[in-house]
Amino acid sequence: MCADLNHNAPADLRIRPGTRRSFLHHMGAGFTGAAVGALLFEEGKAREITGAPHLAAKARAVIYLFMCGGVSHIDTFDPKDNRLAGTLIDAVGFGDNLAEMKRPVIPSRRTFTRYGRSGTPVSDWFPHLGGVIDEIALIRSMWCHETNHFPAVIETATGHRNRIVEHPSFGSWISYALGTENRNLPSFVHMGKASSPLQLSGGYLGATYAATPFQLGEIPIRNLRPPPGTRAGERDDRMKVLEQLNRRFREDYDVESAMAARLKSYELAARMQLHAPEACNFSAEPESVRRLYGIGQKETEEFGKQLLLARRLVERGVRFIQICHAGGGNGAWDSHGDMENHGPLCRQVDQPIAGLIRDLRQRGMLDETLVVWTSEFGRTPWSQNTTGRDHNPRGYSSWMAGGGVRGGVVHGSTDEFGYRTVENPVYVSDLQATILRQMGLDHRRMEVDINGRPVRLVEDGAGPVLGILS
Amino acid sequence: MSMAAHPPATPASGSWFGSSALRMGWCWVSLLALCSFLPRGLSSPAPAKVQDLWSLKPVVRPAIPGGAFQRANPMDSFLAATQSARGLSVLGPADKLTWLRRVHLDLVGLAPSIEEQDRYLADASPSAEDTVVERLLASEQHGVRYGRHWLDVLRYADLDEHMPSESGIHLWRDWVFGALNQDLPYDQFVRAQVCGNRASKRQVISAAGHLTKVEPRPEDLFAEGFLARGAITRANADHGLAFAAVETVSLAFMGMTVSCAKCHDHFFDPISQRDFYAMKALFDPLVLRPVDLATPEQVFAQGRKVREYEDTLKPVAEAMRRFIEPFHSRLYEERLRDMLPEVQAAIRKPETKRSAAEQKIYEDYYPILRIDPPKIKALMKAEEVKIYDDFLRKIDSLKAPESLPRFWGVVEDSKRSADTNYVLVTGDPTRPKRTQPVSPGFPFGPTGLEFRSGRRETFVDWLTSPENPLFARVAVNRIWAWHFGFPLHASLSDFGSLGGQPLHPQLLDWLASEFIAQRYSMKWLHRLIVTSDTYRRASVGDAATANRNASVDPDNRLLWRFPLRRLEAEAIQDSLLMAAGNLDLSLGGPAVGALKEGETSLRRAAYLARGYRSSMAAMPDALETFDAEDGRAVCSRRTETVTATQALYLMNNERIETVSGSLARRLESACPQDPAAAVRLGYRMLLGRLPDPAELQMALELVSKESGRLKGFAWTLLNLDEFIYVR
Repeated sequence: MCADLNHNAPADLRIRPGTRRSFLHHMGAGFTGAAVGALLFEEGKAREITGAPHLAAKARAVIYLFMCGGVSHIDTFDPKDNRLAGTLIDAVGFGDNLAEMKRPVIPSRRTFTRYGRSGTPVSDWFPHLGGVIDEIALIRSMWCHETNHFPAVIETATGHRNRIVEHPSFGSWISYALGTENRNLPSFVHMGKASSPLQLSGGYLGATYAATPFQLGEIPIRNLRPPPGTRAGERDDRMKVLEQLNRRFREDYDVESAMAARLKSYELAARMQLHAPEACNFSAEPESVRRLYGIGQKETEEFGKQLLLARRLVERGVRFIQICHAGGGNGAWDSHGDMENHGPLCRQVDQPIAGLIRDLRQRGMLDETLVVWTSEFGRTPWSQNTTGRDHNPRGYSSWMAGGGVRGGVVHGSTDEFGYRTVENPVYVSDLQATILRQMGLDHRRMEVDINGRPVRLVEDGAGPVLGILS
Repeated sequence: MSMAAHPPATPASGSWFGSSALRMGWCWVSLLALCSFLPRGLSSPAPAKVQDLWSLKPVVRPAIPGGAFQRANPMDSFLAATQSARGLSVLGPADKLTWLRRVHLDLVGLAPSIEEQDRYLADASPSAEDTVVERLLASEQHGVRYGRHWLDVLRYADLDEHMPSESGIHLWRDWVFGALNQDLPYDQFVRAQVCGNRASKRQVISAAGHLTKVEPRPEDLFAEGFLARGAITRANADHGLAFAAVETVSLAFMGMTVSCAKCHDHFFDPISQRDFYAMKALFDPLVLRPVDLATPEQVFAQGRKVREYEDTLKPVAEAMRRFIEPFHSRLYEERLRDMLPEVQAAIRKPETKRSAAEQKIYEDYYPILRIDPPKIKALMKAEEVKIYDDFLRKIDSLKAPESLPRFWGVVEDSKRSADTNYVLVTGDPTRPKRTQPVSPGFPFGPTGLEFRSGRRETFVDWLTSPENPLFARVAVNRIWAWHFGFPLHASLSDFGSLGGQPLHPQLLDWLASEFIAQRYSMKWLHRLIVTSDTYRRASVGDAATANRNASVDPDNRLLWRFPLRRLEAEAIQDSLLMAAGNLDLSLGGPAVGALKEGETSLRRAAYLARGYRSSMAAMPDALETFDAEDGRAVCSRRTETVTATQALYLMNNERIETVSGSLARRLESACPQDPAAAVRLGYRMLLGRLPDPAELQMALELVSKESGRLKGFAWTLLNLDEFIYVR
């Protein structure tokens, strides 16, 4: 990461003239100070950035579920009339190839059921989610610019299309602005195989704010445990001596913010060693809870465990938990050949997500936990002469639940084919602005100075989707 | 940059970037990179004028402060005068071993060996420091160390999302390392990279009026990697090479953000949109050219191998083609039948009979018509699939011969050279403003140039001339920052009005003018800096002085003490392998790719792969974790983070375990049965000093407790702050 872009940021972040000096005094000046910040200022930067907290926070944590490859909205949450199948419509296809052409609409083979008091239709691929539809605010009018996976993933993860400047991922902004509630765990956690490493990146905010990847199993974080064969107590002895041997050097250089940060980084690492395995140990979870998440069934085992871990991390004060499903390459949701490929993927996530929502509800955590479900784009009403569908950034569905979002509402719509957003368009940035708002942050005030030029986290857009907020 | 208010129309009907840009896959990203930084609420700012900008005023050699500020080294004199004026009292010199470790890690990126420490301590002559500095500057490892610094600025990458010049790109890296080792003068260093070895073949007129033919340095061919690296596509229809060249050349060598003027006149600096496109015209004729590096014997041998391969492949492929033909044509026909009649007609025509429009239709629909094996298999019976799979397996087992070594340089394409260049709407090559043709040129230079000796050559003549106020200033500022951690002018790649004023203009200008006088010798500048009193200063001193100074210059910008510095990712990795005793100091060669878990490379970290892929982690963890650069943007200074991930790496990573073990064995075998001697040796090897009695005592207690004896001590040394910091 290059300091050209951030030697003024974030240390210089919107610091008012009166406070800058004392800030530098504490932080050490220049670009190292920036990175050190997260460790020294565990309460986060929102106050310093903009004199905030901007708004009253509705949510304490976000569980961000990202389906890699592009979910077909037409076959899940946005039913269309199959009598239109065969209609030739003006299309722009395929993938990178943006030729204009006429394409025939293909039918959806799904059946839809109206669920709950709201009667929102959900396809037979998501029966469990249908059962919690009254907790969900469905947005049927999402759109983004990019038509291919990696650019669209980056647009969705960072709110920017630009790839030369490494924009920070959304989770890193949350962790940057709000800091951590828990001194023992990182504030931005990632699980699952991502589509792109940029989804974990702290971008110009620096590695301090990047996601810490968690994995299921005994060692949840890379390098968390001493190598096998390390004798119990040995590491403690070493750590004690290390601290003593470091003491003189740290006293000599106590004016350097980096020294304080080094100390803190080892402390945090040690606390993570102690606490992360506990967070990942499900032995105390009753069988009923495991069943709720689909743990114990082959198809739902992995995603169910990730979601249960997510809930446990929220309980322990982690701010932002991003879970990628079926990532790697283009992402398994990328069903060009046959829509039936979606079937097993839907089964893998349906019960765990519904279980998560029910579990959060019954624990009284749902009101403070925002669950977001999205993909980099949707899929087209037509095919590439297959029974599958192509990428569609022009109209697709995402949803949110909990965290002060109204359940059982449907926001926006696509055209009669499910191709283009027509009513209440919601750009990726608007979705992010909504999440920020629920976390007590005003997206218009989330900016950093880069060489004297303010750069915003999210593009100007329509702003938070107020229609779905309670 | 508001764009989110409405969903995009189809690109063809005019999305905000236009259809053609998207269709061409044109790289709009660098444009956004700069434009997203525009301050809001500034509708028509007035840029600074040329005569107002300090950096465009001629370099005037200031008088060296004398009298009380007289010092052996002029840079000390300048700083002394300023420090005195600000009421700062400087710290005294660091002890000998602190200086030795500092200068070693700075100039070659490696800590001094025990022998090097002993030799220096034993040298009581006044020239002891000079001896060390000369030895380090003469070491080939110096080029690796400072070359790596330069590669951050020059955007070196072994791989990138779209980088047709990937094959052989390491030869450019090796050229950079070699150029620094030969002390190639900075102006030639830049000239070679902008012009390649083509430049030096031209004739120049000497002051006496003689026509002289300048002989090329053969290896400067590889300097062309600098321009080739910027290409995004081989055909370069996107002008990626030229855009990258303007951006990199202007930031790296001119310290100017010329690329801001891609879409509009620069808001803050005197750079017009025409200037941008004039500068781009310098590079517009360039395309990639393959340079085959094989010997004639290799080429003949390759011919035989290719024929053998084809002869074996052909019958199998032909048999398979016959076998799948019926399935293939059935699918093809089915797909074609679905299409609009005019589309069918166009596709059914043989390629030679298609009009341009029809060919376009064919290409647009190609993704539909392409038939992959799974689709064919779907039509087959089980036994047919088996036969097909056998064919595929057989073909797969016949490996095509590996291609011969190749490097990508650049060449001026004659057709492109004849083309008129235009200002482009938002930088889109398919949207030239026909009313605004541009001729080659560049901002801040003289007007009326005829470019007779070539576009790039004429530009480089100006760029590298002593009269160019930017060239030497930008370079000495970069080198200064690499030695001290921060520069004399804070924004290393922006000497424009947003970059502010330099911290010490007289010192900057004296260094720039002297750099020119010393024929742009980078080694001269390194020598000047590291033999100065300023560089020799202690980094920590008595509290009273420090407190007094801190109220005036808390950030130590005027260098009243030596700044504490963390090692870069590369130096940390090299130090670990040095500690293990198995660092491979060999030079050159292809990058060591991303390593799988458990694999290790013993090469210097400068040779580890770096770059970027959106789909995968392209660089080794060890580099990523400690903030190494990926070569996507010009980087003058790296971000320096302190994270728990780094702590976990140093505590628990497998490499640390291995290195601890090796280091413990080395200490044990050098000092059998003598833990105190082993501890002392460990301190000297890793920290370049002896432990004080308290440290020795604590370390010995640990050694006596541990079952693995010295391994725990070795681990502790690797985790000391002092190990990854330079004081």
